[in-house]
Amino acid sequence: MNKLGPLGAAALLLVSGALAACRGGESETSEGEIKTDVGVTAEPCPGATDQSKGCIYLGIISDLTEGPFRALAVPITDAQKAFWKRVNEDGGIGGYEVDVTKYVRDNKYNPQTHNQVYQEIKPSVLGLAQTLGSPTTAAIINDLKSSSVVAAPASWTSAWAFEDVIIESGANYCIESMNALDYAKEVYSPKSVMAVHLAGDYGEDAAAGAKLAAQSLGMTFTAVKTDSGADKQAGAIQAILTAKPDVVIVTTGPADAAAIIGQTVARGYGGRFIGTSPTWNPALLQSASAPALLARYEQTAPWNAWGTDSAGHKAMREAIGSVTPNDGYTSGWVWSYPMKAALSKAVENGDLTRAGLLAAAKSLTSVDYEGMLPSGAGNYAGGPNEGAVRVTAVYKADRAAPTGVSQVRDLFTGPTGKAYTLDGPCYEKL
Amino acid sequence: MTELIEAVLRGLGTGSVYALLALGFVIIYKATRVISFAQPAFMLAGVTMVTYLVLEVSFWVAVPVAAFLTGLLALGVERLAVRPMIGRPAFVVAIITLGVDVAVRVVVNAFIGLDVRNVLDPWGLRTVGIRDIDMQQRHLAAFLTTAALVAALFAFFRFTRMGLAMRAAAYDQEAALAQGVSVGAVFALSWGLAGALAAVAGTFAAAGSSVDAGLWLIALTALPVIILGGLDSLPGAVVGGLAIGVLQELTATYQNHAPWLGGNVSVITPYVVMLLVLLVRPYGLFGTREVERV
Repeated sequence: MNKLGPLGAAALLLVSGALAACRGGESETSEGEIKTDVGVTAEPCPGATDQSKGCIYLGIISDLTEGPFRALAVPITDAQKAFWKRVNEDGGIGGYEVDVTKYVRDNKYNPQTHNQVYQEIKPSVLGLAQTLGSPTTAAIINDLKSSSVVAAPASWTSAWAFEDVIIESGANYCIESMNALDYAKEVYSPKSVMAVHLAGDYGEDAAAGAKLAAQSLGMTFTAVKTDSGADKQAGAIQAILTAKPDVVIVTTGPADAAAIIGQTVARGYGGRFIGTSPTWNPALLQSASAPALLARYEQTAPWNAWGTDSAGHKAMREAIGSVTPNDGYTSGWVWSYPMKAALSKAVENGDLTRAGLLAAAKSLTSVDYEGMLPSGAGNYAGGPNEGAVRVTAVYKADRAAPTGVSQVRDLFTGPTGKAYTLDGPCYEKL
Repeated sequence: MTELIEAVLRGLGTGSVYALLALGFVIIYKATRVISFAQPAFMLAGVTMVTYLVLEVSFWVAVPVAAFLTGLLALGVERLAVRPMIGRPAFVVAIITLGVDVAVRVVVNAFIGLDVRNVLDPWGLRTVGIRDIDMQQRHLAAFLTTAALVAALFAFFRFTRMGLAMRAAAYDQEAALAQGVSVGAVFALSWGLAGALAAVAGTFAAAGSSVDAGLWLIALTALPVIILGGLDSLPGAVVGGLAIGVLQELTATYQNHAPWLGGNVSVITPYVVMLLVLLVRPYGLFGTREVERV
């Protein structure tokens, strides 16, 4: 540096600054035939199976440490790592492998944190292999759209059907609740329904589905909003005991659901409960609410549980190895298939830029879920209503089953869910 | 009428948990003039220990052992984080206890893990009844245990040398020190007692329910309780705890008569009471009125 003198040093600084600016920009480069821009490199992934392949970086933003859904989020994330490892071992996507381990961030289920960590990893990733939560993803949805970042959600709100950048899987909470009531009508012939739900898209979407279904099935409907926390359920418990509905649709966290179900049954409530999948945790079968759960609780699910006999389920169990079974794994695995299909399609089209991936995702007419969802699922080209997956399975609490629930009814579409025209996010209709 | 009586009985059950937590706050406050915000963490630590211990020994052994261990934990925290701060303004120490609370909870959360945990208490959600009035066994157990612990505590403060020393230190630290009272030992014992009480409170908060990382929030209800009862009054903590518990249950039971208040108004009633008390009687029902000369 001494030999260069001050002028030379200044020139060097300028040049290096200009170079850095080039690297930071989203200039398009061609890797052989394939166009790429952000988050795709010719260098191999860290720990790549095949060192001659390039790397596609996908980000994961999940509830990994202290948020209310971490019991699901951690297995979801582990399953996705296993999913993409399997993809890489099977030859990757074209000339690339996929990395989902370098840009994993914790959102603590807080929308602000979610946005912050998203901004942090955005310049380095092509898309998101997971964005967990409805309110959290809502905090970044406008940015995802304006930057054409394709993301696989870890939530089931009906709003995602209306967003091209979100490649969702399975029935949304709204349709799931409709199917739940169709099932309940057939088995229990209820006359009154109550939805006990958390605030926000998760609970309100399910409650709206229950409301729409109750209206079309001629049942009376009430909705009770509650808060997260086992000690904050006194209001909901009293509401159930006062109104005595025949069926309660629950969309809360597991500890909340256990408090509501255990205590209402202990205080003489005689009706049934149907919860969505995030209300369940196998450890509840050791709690004081276990007898009530075993006797009165059923759970709807957008796909079948861990132990199911399908090619996808088998591949999942093999790839994840020996863990305590949890349907968080199942969900993480299922949610990854559309991203794999979109990446393959983008490579096929020779355009692995963000815009190219979005175009590929939008053009998908079906996704191969290896039998975990019915054929025809993953029709993003069909638009919100035609493309919506409408199947739901019903499970009941069962100590003998691997994830604490055993199947009561295989994936089905009820008449109400089938007839419903998805013309906007359901929660707006609550 | 049955509904009213049952609501009051439930309130006494949850109120007992608040009373135990509030007693911890008050004991520390009386000794050190500091509100310890670490109580929620001790509660969570204690109940988490119970969830592990019950897998090895019976519930009846697990709870006292966990209470003892939590007392030791609180003692350790006092030694490491609080004792070096003696002589500093009380609010500095209060802020430190906030930090301790977060740090301890992070560690405890790792032990709670991903699934909910259970204390495997013998009561579950069963009830005992006289005629048509039912009371949940766990609420009765919480009430009786609190009554026994409160009696023991009051006897301790009234009839033992250490209890006398603690009262002396609470009254005037310097004078007590001059009379040969070990104020350090008083501090240590206060923290230990508060930790042990928090562990018992946590166990009853989780009885019939389950333990997850969010359980600590229950301990925050002890703040309105000590404001109502008076920051430096042990009877105030007990009466305040039971009163807040009953009020909360009554609100939950009868809130359907005022639907415009929203669905879960019982959650905020303790804080509404706190605001009112602060406006009308800032030293609480039984607290010492501070005299300030201008």
